[in-house]
Amino acid sequence: MSSFPEAVYDIFTSNSTYINAALFGGLLAFAATGEWVAERAGTLNISVEAMLLAGAFTSAVGYDLTDSVVVALVAGILGGMLVAAIQAEMSHRLSADQFVVGLTLNILIFGLTGFLDREIDPATKTAARWTVPILNKVPLIGKALFGQPWPFYLLYVLIPLSWWLVYRTRWGLELRAAGENPQSADVSGIDVNRRRRQAVYYAGLTSGLGGAFLVFVQVGRFDDSIVGGRGFIAIAAVIFGGWTLRGTILGCVVFAAALSFRLSIQGLGYQVNNELLQALPFLVTILGMALFAHRVRPPAALARPFVRGLR
Amino acid sequence: MTDSQSTDLIGIGGGLPPPIPAVELVGITKRFGAVVACEGVDMVFHRGQIHGILGENGAGKSTLMKILIGLVLPDEGRIVVDGAERRIHDPLVAADLGIGMVHQHFSLIEALSVWENVALGEKGTLDPGTVRERIEEISEQYGLAIDPDARVGDLPAGLRQRVEIIKCLRRDPQIVIFDEPTSVLTPEESKQLFSSLRNVVAAEGRAVALVSHKLDEMLSAADEISIMRQGRVVDRQVPSETNARKLARSMVGRDVLLRSERAALGLVGDDEQGHQDMGSPGSSGPDSQHPALRIEGAVARGPEGTKILDGLTIELHRGTIVGLAGVEGNGQRPVGDLLSSLLPLESGRVEVDGNAVPAGRPGAMARAGIGVIPEDRHDSGIVLEMTVAENLVITDPYCVARRSLIDPKRLAAFAREIIEEFDIQCDGPAAPMWSLSGGNQQRVVLARELVQNPKVLVAAQPTRGLDVVAIEYMSNRLRTAAEEGVAVLLISSELEEILDLSNRIVVLRGGRVAGEMSRSEASLENLGLLMGGSTG
Amino acid sequence: MSTGTAEVAPTSKTWRRIRVGEWLVLYALSISVALLIAGTLVEATGGDWLPVLSALLDGSVRRPGRWGETLGVAGPLLLVALGTVVSAKAGLVNIGQEGQLLFGAAVATYFSFLIGGPGPLNVVLILLFGAIGGAAWAGIAAGLRYWRGVPEVLSTLLLVTVSIQTVAYGMRWEWLLLAPQSSRGNRNQVSKQLASNNRLPRPEIFGNEFPLTVYIGVVLALLLAFGLGRTVWGLRLRLLGHNPRVAKRCGVSEKVFGAGALMISGGFAGLAGGAMLAGGGFSFGNYQFMTGFSDNIGWTGLLVALVVRERVFLAVPVAFVFACLRTGSSFVGSTGVEGRITDVIQGLLVLALLIPPAVMVLRNIRRARAAATVRV
Repeated sequence: MSSFPEAVYDIFTSNSTYINAALFGGLLAFAATGEWVAERAGTLNISVEAMLLAGAFTSAVGYDLTDSVVVALVAGILGGMLVAAIQAEMSHRLSADQFVVGLTLNILIFGLTGFLDREIDPATKTAARWTVPILNKVPLIGKALFGQPWPFYLLYVLIPLSWWLVYRTRWGLELRAAGENPQSADVSGIDVNRRRRQAVYYAGLTSGLGGAFLVFVQVGRFDDSIVGGRGFIAIAAVIFGGWTLRGTILGCVVFAAALSFRLSIQGLGYQVNNELLQALPFLVTILGMALFAHRVRPPAALARPFVRGLR
Repeated sequence: MTDSQSTDLIGIGGGLPPPIPAVELVGITKRFGAVVACEGVDMVFHRGQIHGILGENGAGKSTLMKILIGLVLPDEGRIVVDGAERRIHDPLVAADLGIGMVHQHFSLIEALSVWENVALGEKGTLDPGTVRERIEEISEQYGLAIDPDARVGDLPAGLRQRVEIIKCLRRDPQIVIFDEPTSVLTPEESKQLFSSLRNVVAAEGRAVALVSHKLDEMLSAADEISIMRQGRVVDRQVPSETNARKLARSMVGRDVLLRSERAALGLVGDDEQGHQDMGSPGSSGPDSQHPALRIEGAVARGPEGTKILDGLTIELHRGTIVGLAGVEGNGQRPVGDLLSSLLPLESGRVEVDGNAVPAGRPGAMARAGIGVIPEDRHDSGIVLEMTVAENLVITDPYCVARRSLIDPKRLAAFAREIIEEFDIQCDGPAAPMWSLSGGNQQRVVLARELVQNPKVLVAAQPTRGLDVVAIEYMSNRLRTAAEEGVAVLLISSELEEILDLSNRIVVLRGGRVAGEMSRSEASLENLGLLMGGSTG
Repeated sequence: MSTGTAEVAPTSKTWRRIRVGEWLVLYALSISVALLIAGTLVEATGGDWLPVLSALLDGSVRRPGRWGETLGVAGPLLLVALGTVVSAKAGLVNIGQEGQLLFGAAVATYFSFLIGGPGPLNVVLILLFGAIGGAAWAGIAAGLRYWRGVPEVLSTLLLVTVSIQTVAYGMRWEWLLLAPQSSRGNRNQVSKQLASNNRLPRPEIFGNEFPLTVYIGVVLALLLAFGLGRTVWGLRLRLLGHNPRVAKRCGVSEKVFGAGALMISGGFAGLAGGAMLAGGGFSFGNYQFMTGFSDNIGWTGLLVALVVRERVFLAVPVAFVFACLRTGSSFVGSTGVEGRITDVIQGLLVLALLIPPAVMVLRNIRRARAAATVRV
C-alpha cells in the first residue's frame, strides 16, 4: 500500500475520481438548482428527497414501458412535478404547513415507490454515452465533464437556463420579490403565492429529472434506497451557496468531491474518517451560516408562508 | 354641490384653476367596526397644485389615501376623476385612472436593485435597457439623480425615496399622492425632495396630494392645506395666510363641539387656569428628594440610524401629571418604548427614585415600578390570543401565583375583581382578548398597570381611537392615580388632553425638550409655537 | 363584540363560528378518500384491501401482546411530540428531533456502561443522560440562533445528518459506543447490551407488556399541559410565542426563554431515545444501540406534533394511531402485499388531516372577499 501522500496524489490524478465526482455532483446539481429557484421564492421544500425518488421511479417505469430513455426522462420530470404539485398546492394555496407536507411526502413517496417497485419491478439500463470530441481529451476532467452518458449534458442547459429565468425575466424578478418581501410584492400587484407555487413546480421538474439521471446515468437501476438523503444534501448546497446559483453549484461540486474522495481513498485501502466526510457538507454549511451570518442572508421571507392581510 | 370649494380657491395659487378638478372626493366615509376612520370628507385636487393634507396619526388621512389608491373601499361617498364618477376597488384600477402613490413603507424590496424595483409590478417582457433609459429620463427631468444598478438596501433613506418616486412617475400618473414623504429624511434631503416636487407639478400640470403631519413642510410645499382630525376635515388654510402656530392648533385640538361642552362645564379653558376640578394633584408635591422618574441626556437611534432621541432630559415628581406634547415623529414614541424596556440607549440614563434602571433590558423598567399604557396596545400592550385574565397578570404573574404555580381560582377572582372595578365589558375572565372592543381592551391595559401600584405611570396616546365616554373614564383614572401619588407621564398628540390633565407641560421637538411650562403658563397658542417651530 | 380593528388575525374568531358538524363531515370525508386511495392501490396491484386492513388491525391491536407493542412504540413518539410542542409554543421551528433523539440515545448508551449503582437508579440515570444529550444537541441550534442569528429551522435540519454521522463515528470505537468483539456476535455495529437490571421495567397488563415509557409519556403530557396552562413559566413561554415585544416588556428575555424552550424540546427527544434504549425490547434493538437506532421515530414524532397543532392532549391518541401503523405494518407482509403500504397509508392520512383546516380557511377568505370593503 502506497503512503498516504502518494495515495492522495494518485486520487487527484486519476480520471475516475473526477468521473465519480461529476456523477455525484450531477445529481446534486439537478436537485439543488430547482430547490435554489424554489428558495429564492421563499419556500423551503424538504420534499426534494421525495421529488428525486418519484422522478427516479417514474423514469424507470417510463423506460420499462417504452424502451426509450427520452420517454424515461420525461416520465421522470412528470413524477417530480407530481410530488411538487402536492407540495405547492397544499402549502401555497391551501396554507398547510410546508414542513408537514414536505415530511409527509418523503414518507409517502418512499412507501409508494417501495411498494410499487415490488409489484412492477421495472427494468432499466444505463443511457448511451455521448462523448464530446476534443474536449473529451482534456486531462483529468475531460472524461468527467464531456464523456458522460448524454442526460448529463442536460445540466449544461439547465443551469444557465435557471439563471436566466431567475435574473433576466419578469417571472424571475417577481419570484425574487416574493421571496424577499412578499408584502411589498403584493402591494406592487404580484400574486405572491402563485409565483411560489410555480417555483415549487420548477423544483419538481429539475428534481424529477435528477431522479431520472440517478437511474439512467449513475446507478443503472431503480431501488428505493438510491436517493439516500441526497435531497437534503441538495438543500444544504443551496444554503452553503448563500442562495446564489454559482454558490449552489460550487456547493454541489465541493460536496461531490468529498464523496468521491472518500470512495477513492477507501478503495486504496485507507481508513478515513468516513463519518466526517459524510457529515462534511452539513457541517460546512452550518459553519458557513454561523460565520457569515452578516454577509450571507437567506431570502428574507424564506419558509414564511404568505397570507394577505395578516401581519 | 361641490363647486363651492372650487370657487373658494379662485384667486389663489396664481390665477383661475382649470374648471374640472383632477380628483374630487365627496362625502367619503369609512368605518372599521366601531371606529370611524373617515367621516364625510370632501376634498378637491386641482391640476398644477400641491394639496397638503395635514393631520396626526389616526386623523384619517392615510385611510383616505388608501381609498383613493384602491386599497380600501369607502362605505359612503363618491370619487370623481376628471369629471367622471369612478369606483376604485383595486390599485390596478387606480393606476389605470392615472393615480399613483409614492408609498412610505411597503413598496420597495431591499435585496433588489433600483431598476428591478422600478420595473416591478409592470407587465410584459423585462428589458433592463429600456427600464434604465426611462429611469435616466425621469432622473433628469425631475432632478432625481440615482444609480439604476445600486442595491436598494444599501441606499440611505433619501435615495430610497427617490426610487419610490421614480417608480411612481414611471407610469406617468396624472395624480400623485405623496404619503408622509419626509418622515425619515434629513432636512437637506427634504429640501431636495420639495424642489423635485415642484418640478413634478409644474411639468405637465399634475395634481399632487401631500400627506403629512409636519407643519413646516406644509407651509413650504403646499398651495393649499386641508387639516384633518378624527376623520373629518376640520379646517382649510392657505400657507400665505397662516403660520405654524395656527396649523398646530387646528391639527391637535379636540373636536370643536366637544370642546365647547367641556368648556361650558368649566373643565378646560384655552387661556384660563382650568384647575378647579382637579383637586390638588400631588398637593404634597415632591415628597422625596428624588424625582419619581428622571431621564437624563437620553440618546437613542432608530433602525435607519437616525437619532430618535437626542439628549432628552425630563423629570417627573410623585403626584403630578406631566404632559409630553409634540407633533408626532419628534420623540414621543421612543420615550414610550424606552420606558417599556424596548429601546436601548446609546447614552444617557433613566432613574426611578434615584436608582438607575438599565435601558433595553427585558422587564427592567416594569420591575422598577414603571407602568405603561402603550401607544399601540396590539404591538406592545396586550396579547389578543390570550384571555382577559392572562392579560391582566402578564406583567406580574406572581401576584396570583404561589411558588410559580398559578392558582386558577385566585386568577379568576383577581380578574373578576378588576373587571368589576374598572367596569370592563367582557364575557368574564376567560374571554379571549380579541373579543373585547378597543375601549375595553384599553381598560384592561389601564387596570393592569394601575393595580401594580406603579411609581410612574406612562400613558401614551391613552385615548386615541376611543369614544367620548371612554375618554372621560380614562382621564378621570389618570387624575385619580396622580392624586394617589403616582407620577404620571402623559404622552399625547391631543393638546386638549394635555391641557386638561397636566400640571406641567413639556414640549418635545427633534427628540429633545423644546420647552417646559406649568399649566398656568400654557395655552394652545404658545404650545403650538413650541411644537410647530421651524426645524433645526 | 367586534374589535373593529382590521389587524386581528381572522382565524381565531372564525374557528368558533364554524359548527362542529361541518368539521366532522370534512374530516370524515378526507380520511375516507385517503383510505380509498390506499385501498385502490392495494387492489390495483393485485392484492385485497380487506386482508390488509385486517393484518393492520392484527398487528397493531388485535393479536395477543400486540397492543402492548404498539404502546411501546407510541411512548417515544409521544415524548418527541411533547417536546416539539414546547418549542412551538415559544414560536420556534424545531425540525431536528431525529438527530436530537439519536444523539440522546447515544449519550445514554455511553454512560450506561460507566455508571455503577443499583439498577433502578441506573435506569433513571440512563434516561437522564438521554435527555441531556438531546438537550445539548438542540443547544447547538439554540446557540447558533441566539448568538449568530442562524434560523433554527435550518440549523436543526442540518444537524440531523451531523448527528447521524457523529453517532456512527462513535459506533466504530470500542472506547465510545461499540461493543467488544467478543460480545458482538456476527453483527458489526452494535453496542453492548444493557444489563438486565439496567432496563426499564415492562409491566404486563392483560397479557401485554410495554415499558414504563408509556406511563412516563402520559405523566409528562399531563405535567406539560399543566405547566403550559398553570405555571408562570408556561404563561411566559406562550407570551413569547404570541408577542415577543409584550414579552420583553414583561421581563421575558427572548434569549433565555427561547433557548430554554429549544433545549427542552431536544431534551424530550433525547429522553425518547434513552427510553428506546432502556425499554425498547424488540421494537428497538433489544437494549442494544446500533446504527439506524432512531428508526424515524424523531421524524414521526415531529409529524404527530405538527398534525395536532400543538395541542398536548391530542398528541396522545395521535401518537397511538401512528404507532399502530408502524406495528401493524409488520403483519401486512404476510398477506402478500408489500409492507410499505403502511407508509403510504400514513402519508395519505396526514395529508387528509391537513385538508379540512385548509379548506375552511380558504372558504372564509373567499367569503370575506365577497363581502369585502377592505382588500382581503
